[in-house]
Amino acid sequence: MLASFTRFLPQSRPALIALAAILWCAGSAPAGAQAAPESAMRETLAIGEEPGRVSTDEVVIDDGPYKRQLVFFRTNEAPGTFIIQTSEHFLYVVLGNNRALRYGIGVGRQGFQWSGLVKIVKMAEWPDWTPPPEMIQRQPYLPRFMAGGPGNPLGARAMYLGGTVYRIHGTNQPETIGENISSGCFRLANGDVVDLYSHASVGTKVIIRQAPTL
Amino acid sequence: MPRLAKRLTLHLGAALLALLATAAAASTLDVVKQRGSLLCGVGQGLPGFSDRDAAGKWSGFDVDFCRAVAAAIFDDPNKVTYIPLNAAERFDALHAGKIDLLSRNSSWTFDREASLGLLFAAVTYHDGQGFMALRKPEITSALELDKASICVQKGTTSELNLADYFRANSMTYTLHAYDTIAEVIKALEGGACDVFSTDQSGLYAERGNLSQPNAAIILPDIISKEPLGPVVRADDVAWFNIVKWVAFALINAEELGIKSSNIDEALASTKPDARRFTGAEGAFGAKLGLDNAWAIRAVKEVGNYSEIFERNIGSGSKLAIPRGLNQLWSAGGILYAPPLR
Repeated sequence: MLASFTRFLPQSRPALIALAAILWCAGSAPAGAQAAPESAMRETLAIGEEPGRVSTDEVVIDDGPYKRQLVFFRTNEAPGTFIIQTSEHFLYVVLGNNRALRYGIGVGRQGFQWSGLVKIVKMAEWPDWTPPPEMIQRQPYLPRFMAGGPGNPLGARAMYLGGTVYRIHGTNQPETIGENISSGCFRLANGDVVDLYSHASVGTKVIIRQAPTL
Repeated sequence: MPRLAKRLTLHLGAALLALLATAAAASTLDVVKQRGSLLCGVGQGLPGFSDRDAAGKWSGFDVDFCRAVAAAIFDDPNKVTYIPLNAAERFDALHAGKIDLLSRNSSWTFDREASLGLLFAAVTYHDGQGFMALRKPEITSALELDKASICVQKGTTSELNLADYFRANSMTYTLHAYDTIAEVIKALEGGACDVFSTDQSGLYAERGNLSQPNAAIILPDIISKEPLGPVVRADDVAWFNIVKWVAFALINAEELGIKSSNIDEALASTKPDARRFTGAEGAFGAKLGLDNAWAIRAVKEVGNYSEIFERNIGSGSKLAIPRGLNQLWSAGGILYAPPLR
């Protein structure tokens, strides 16, 4: 996986390799946000964000299992509920009648190990990006503020998960869908996150499930 | 009184004979162990389920089940002799003792258990009749197929299931039946019909033969029950239990998060259900006549249910069948194995 992404690493900025993804999600991280241990971060954060790389809201995953598709899905949850199966890299929107719309997502390898129920508390189109001070300290070349748009790492839409620093958001790196890349957020290709956004509202239930641990 | 005594003697005699017969027949497990190889009946070539390559090596979803049973018994998944069987001869071969186990996309039905002296050990694949349409994004459910023209292969149960389903849902349809699947595909691609209907596993296999596979969608609906699974003779409950619990072990492994790549982690686990699975606790293998590493060995050599599914027929294969009904009960499907305890 690492090898296949090296082409995306900015050659002139090796520091980018080391640090990254929790800050994707933590634009306004409160103190005490669940950060992965530093050792774990070094190991997992192989790909840096690429502010300025353009990905429009028309970019969707159009092939393979991560393509947006209608699937058979039995659940007792009400239609409209989002169910995230992190180990499968899928997000399901429950439709009822044993159906769900399934989206491929990129998830964090470390960080979001919590499972349970949250609600969407805020929604934003083409969200601005304000890297937090910790991130600026580590990556001083990053912009202090980046207005929302096709080159913004947060992508076309963001849905904030209540009580956490995490979001479901778009990305300008659609090739990371299906991977454990971020340190916690759930990312979709921009076209797919726009579609998902149309199924969301403030108050939507989001159930997060983790792989069983041994 | 003498008549009663005579009858009693007769009954006792019959019972004694039956007992003797049971004792005399060597257990299937002993026979398999002595032979050093499991005789597994498989299909004659069904992509993803039982395939033989040019070098004669077998692979597939059904083949992997044979390998898992062999791994549980011998600690070697390769101690299997594969006997390819056609649909007509498969149950006779099992009955006649030519195979120890039939793992060949066979549907579990009442008649096959009640009349043939066979037992289905488990359902390893929930199949059923489905629909494939050339891309019509507006169709999301089989309930939207009112007035559709439907292509099927002649003489299959597909026609009957269609009639039942459309009638039950107050819909009408036009049927086009063809002798061969090739003709059905041609009709579908030529626009003679809107959808093609057969068992869903077959739809995924045929999709690969379309000139534009990506232009076809397979609806999530299943309108009939075709539960496929391994079959054994009904005269050896101990053997039946081994086959059944190997199937359950593969499913339970997925649910516990045990897979071929984290065996060492599983062996070191302190979680009670993982410890029972690995044989660290409970001596479950011994109760089956195996050793206590039977279950973890099957997973180590062949993988858990998810690995077997994805590799052969799922996202890691050409068929790319979604888990659907065959997902774990806790993740949207109906796959459910009793607990190991």
